[in-house]
Amino acid sequence: MSGLSEEAKQKIRDLLPRYPSKQALTLPALHIAQEEARCVSRQAVHDIADLLELAPSQIHDTLSFYGFFKDEKHPLGDNRIWVCRSLACMLRGGDELLAEVCERLHVAPGQTTADGKATIELAECLGACDGAPCILVNDKLQLRMTADAVVSLAEGRA
Amino acid sequence: MSFEPVLLRRRGKPNSQSLESYRADGGYTALKKALAMEAPKVIEAVQKSGLRGRGGAGFSTGLKWTFLPKDVQGPIYLCINGDESEPGTFNNRVLLEDDPHQVLEGIVISGYATKSTTAYLYLRYEYGDCYRTCEKAIEEMYANNLLGKNILGSDYSLDIYLHRGACAYICGEETGLIESLEGKRAWPRIKPPFPAIEGAFRRPTVVNNIETMACVTQILDRGPEWFQSIGIASEHPKDPGSYGPKLYCISGHVNNPGLVELPLGVTARELIDKHAGGVWKGRKAKAVVPGGISMGFLSADELDTKLDFAGPGKAGCLGLGTAAVIVIDDQTSMVDVLYNTCRFFAHESCGQCTPCREGTAWSAKILARIRAGQGTLKDLDTLTDISNSIGIMPGTTICGLADGAAWPIKNALKKFRPEFEEYITSGRRSQSFEVVGSH
Amino acid sequence: MSTVFINDIEIEVGPKENLVQAAERAGVEIPHYCWHHDLSVVASCRMCLVEVGEKKPDGTIAMIPKLVPACQTPAKPNTVVLTNSEKVKKAQAQTLEFLLLNHPLDCSICDQAGECYLQDYTYKFGNAESRLNEPKVQRVDKYHIGEQIALFTDRCVMCTRCVRFTREISGTAELQVTNRGSVEEIDIFPGEPCNNKLAGNVVDLCPVGALCSKDFLYKKRVWWLKTQDSVCQDCSTGCSIHVDQEDNRLYRLRPRENPQAQGSFMCDEGRFGWKYIQSEARLTAPRIGKALAAVGQHAELSSADAHVGNGQFENGHVSASEIGHGRVGSGSSSGRRHIHDPGAVNEFAKVDPWPQVLSETRQAIKSAVDAGADRFAVVLSPMMFCEEAYLLAKYIKSISKKVTLALGPVPIVGEDDQYPKGPKGEPPAEGKVKFTIRAEKCPNRLGVEAVLEHFQGEVIGFDELAGRLSAKRIDGLYLVGGYQGTWIDESKLSMFDALSTLIVQDFLSSPLTDMATIVLASATFAERHGTVVNHAGLAQEVHPVIRGATDVRPDGRLLFDLAQRQGLYSAPAIRKEMAKEIPAFAAFDGEIGALGIQLFNIVEGKRA
Repeated sequence: MSGLSEEAKQKIRDLLPRYPSKQALTLPALHIAQEEARCVSRQAVHDIADLLELAPSQIHDTLSFYGFFKDEKHPLGDNRIWVCRSLACMLRGGDELLAEVCERLHVAPGQTTADGKATIELAECLGACDGAPCILVNDKLQLRMTADAVVSLAEGRA
Repeated sequence: MSFEPVLLRRRGKPNSQSLESYRADGGYTALKKALAMEAPKVIEAVQKSGLRGRGGAGFSTGLKWTFLPKDVQGPIYLCINGDESEPGTFNNRVLLEDDPHQVLEGIVISGYATKSTTAYLYLRYEYGDCYRTCEKAIEEMYANNLLGKNILGSDYSLDIYLHRGACAYICGEETGLIESLEGKRAWPRIKPPFPAIEGAFRRPTVVNNIETMACVTQILDRGPEWFQSIGIASEHPKDPGSYGPKLYCISGHVNNPGLVELPLGVTARELIDKHAGGVWKGRKAKAVVPGGISMGFLSADELDTKLDFAGPGKAGCLGLGTAAVIVIDDQTSMVDVLYNTCRFFAHESCGQCTPCREGTAWSAKILARIRAGQGTLKDLDTLTDISNSIGIMPGTTICGLADGAAWPIKNALKKFRPEFEEYITSGRRSQSFEVVGSH
Repeated sequence: MSTVFINDIEIEVGPKENLVQAAERAGVEIPHYCWHHDLSVVASCRMCLVEVGEKKPDGTIAMIPKLVPACQTPAKPNTVVLTNSEKVKKAQAQTLEFLLLNHPLDCSICDQAGECYLQDYTYKFGNAESRLNEPKVQRVDKYHIGEQIALFTDRCVMCTRCVRFTREISGTAELQVTNRGSVEEIDIFPGEPCNNKLAGNVVDLCPVGALCSKDFLYKKRVWWLKTQDSVCQDCSTGCSIHVDQEDNRLYRLRPRENPQAQGSFMCDEGRFGWKYIQSEARLTAPRIGKALAAVGQHAELSSADAHVGNGQFENGHVSASEIGHGRVGSGSSSGRRHIHDPGAVNEFAKVDPWPQVLSETRQAIKSAVDAGADRFAVVLSPMMFCEEAYLLAKYIKSISKKVTLALGPVPIVGEDDQYPKGPKGEPPAEGKVKFTIRAEKCPNRLGVEAVLEHFQGEVIGFDELAGRLSAKRIDGLYLVGGYQGTWIDESKLSMFDALSTLIVQDFLSSPLTDMATIVLASATFAERHGTVVNHAGLAQEVHPVIRGATDVRPDGRLLFDLAQRQGLYSAPAIRKEMAKEIPAFAAFDGEIGALGIQLFNIVEGKRA
């Protein structure tokens, strides 16, 4: 699988002056990589390691800590939908929402729908407890969700 | 007497995020005042106000700033902790989404006071809208000499950079945040050295919360006396008091979940009944989380607890935390609630210290088994043992995550033990269910 | 200096000690996994928790209410430490219960059993039972983690010593922690195994049975092993090592901590490079009387049944094969019986071939020297121990001062390899070096040179000697090898063609031993006793660990007997003699001790 595009590499280089150490670019670089390819391929890890003068294992160490970055065997669907399961959402039906969404989309949390349109994830508190149950679509919060609404989003209808 | 919101006063106004509207409401006059003062005078004002950090630990903000070494050569970093991840908490999200300049002004003032050269605003990834509003606001600031070189014609220069997280609760721990900022796994650091001496990039560093920054703006604008006039005064010489307005997050089984700004010291009962429309469906509260789930639980007869810095502790909770109140109604099983809590901490334990890594995972497993109808009464003793042996309070971990993981267990098993015993002896299984998966 | 109190034991501590170190010197063990004095402090295993307080000037003691990690706590003046209070014992037992929750308890098939800190600490500080009622987490073993190392993932306690080693000492950073919380594991980046030249150290660093050496795996229960102090022979760093053997068989080398030598580690070249000791090419007996021209006996000599029943006399001497196989008996010209039938070998009839071999050797040397002392040369190998070099040099010079003593080839491979490596594999900056694998692949050049300077007045290098050989200015040569492999190019063998006498002392058969008129089958370092001087002038003692084949003779004894000295070879006695005779070896007067003595002052690679 291909690595970072030249454009992505340049984006990373552009951020260098912001930090006194190159390693600090790790998270920003991983975000740039995943935004570009919907995953962070092994080659992308190598490319980032080269740019930041680190070993690939050091990048991967950080990458794997967050459970946020997908490897090339599990790229994200067009949209990534996180369903919150922490206490405030659980109290208002978060678990049931996640179950119904998974059932209707035929996926387990962490998986992508067959049509590649959505990846469903389980999330710990998303910080939108005032709108429980809530979800995160890519990086946008959606409050007071119903299964119908989530499925519409997942199917790209909303 | 009703309280006029200060931190939230611009919420809901049209264009509240724009510099223009912020200035129209008197924005950045606090910064001008601060820049006209000597930096130590700004620290003095913040110290005098009695402001305690809003991130959860409640440490005096001004005092924290004084821990920086004097006459530092080279950079000092200001890290703003926007990794708000404590379940139940969303006050910082609202502040950044609706009124970013109030926070950013506070960052510049704090940067000036601490002689910081660069500020990193560490923002949890989930807050995409916050990221975009802040990005825009920071652009406006650079364009208007509110950031960059010689801010508003003064000798002070500051850059603010947004740094996005990637979904890890532990990044809200100040040294976990620093490690994450440096590009490493967010394993909290051993202290000493404390960040003020050796923090981000091995330089003196201050880590402050978002709401704290908004408070700094208001303190400089309205004066420390104004801040001191709000809240609960110090009760004894060792108590730093609970001054100023506070953003209370209310969620769970209430009619109107939301964010309200009130003087520190409102009771849980008043919050629920007066500001959240009461418990939903005409039910009663069985338990209330006073400040994010790591603080533990108040029982139904502890609802008159004042939610100031000292109040929840008096009722056996860990503290005020983030003042995020989650209401649990009387139809809900505390076994399910505690399982949810334990699972959260097992998922979020960074894995560095043995007691937390293993203890959080083990307690979640035990509760899962109890929920499956396979529990024994002995499990409750084991859970109590685990909860007593993990955390910085017994001294067995590097950071406080494990204390937060232990406290709900301690509170639940102390305040609701009969319910757990009945659950186990009746052989009941959870009515609630869980979808298993990974990410 | 300041005083701390460990369980009421008063002890003086140095400025940079932590409580684990202070307690150790007080004879109190504070259990720990993650802390290692050569690695950064992470204080994460929480095994070393203790109670700490301060003794005030008025004699009162104020204890801190919570437990603190001893590894992270500096031993400050008047610190009071409790390592055996109920609170500490409870925490230790609890931490062990946590560590063992998902541990497979497969001690019966675990290589680490017997030297495992999970076992030892559980025995000393833990509970016998686990309260876990849930299924244990099972993890996949990772045999692919390195050529020499395997990871038994579910035995790991996540102390991260191995990860820190690759980041802080080797600098190669192959190892990482993956994932978070209770599902985290040690791993490599896919496809990039941990094969750096220091990789084997992670096995020693691992306090449990997670990282194992593939070379040693399932070979021997460690409690059967007997350990001897030694010094690695593979380069001039001279790492202090432990050599583990059982039943006269070597199983593994491990670094022995020595701050004066290399520190705590050793390289894989040294660690795994000892297999030549068990090589098929080992010479098993001395040999006399092979013609120089007849190259090509090499294979025959190393094969067990060479010349069986074909014993013959060459120039009136017993043939090599006969001596080599203990089949020399009465009936020969020397009055010994000559056994032709291998089936008839009687163990009791075995005769030591060496007296005769050495006698012949002395004769050969004498004849050669008589024919022209300035046309006889002796090559001392930089693989020799000081005592051996001294014995040979002294013996030869006692025959004639005119005999030339020269230094054997000094193997140089590449350049010094310094660690920690930078991100692009570059060496560390000056002053940041934590480990060096030296290009000079011999243990004792400096020691042998000092001997040569004393007896010869100068160090004549092998190149110069080779020049004299090629110019046919030498007729007789006594050459000591001792190298671990082929050390001379076959194309260069022609330089020896003109010799009339070639005595080779070595432990591996080679084209050169094939050419030799006399082969003295000597021993490897594991079989010898003596002293080597490393690159920095530190003299360390190598102890014999195993015995060689019956008719192989350790070099020290061989040379002692060659010189017809009375009694038994004793390295310490020879050192005393050297100390009196050679000013450079004056320090040999004292004990060498486990950590060695500074014998020479080295300035810019030269003896000052």
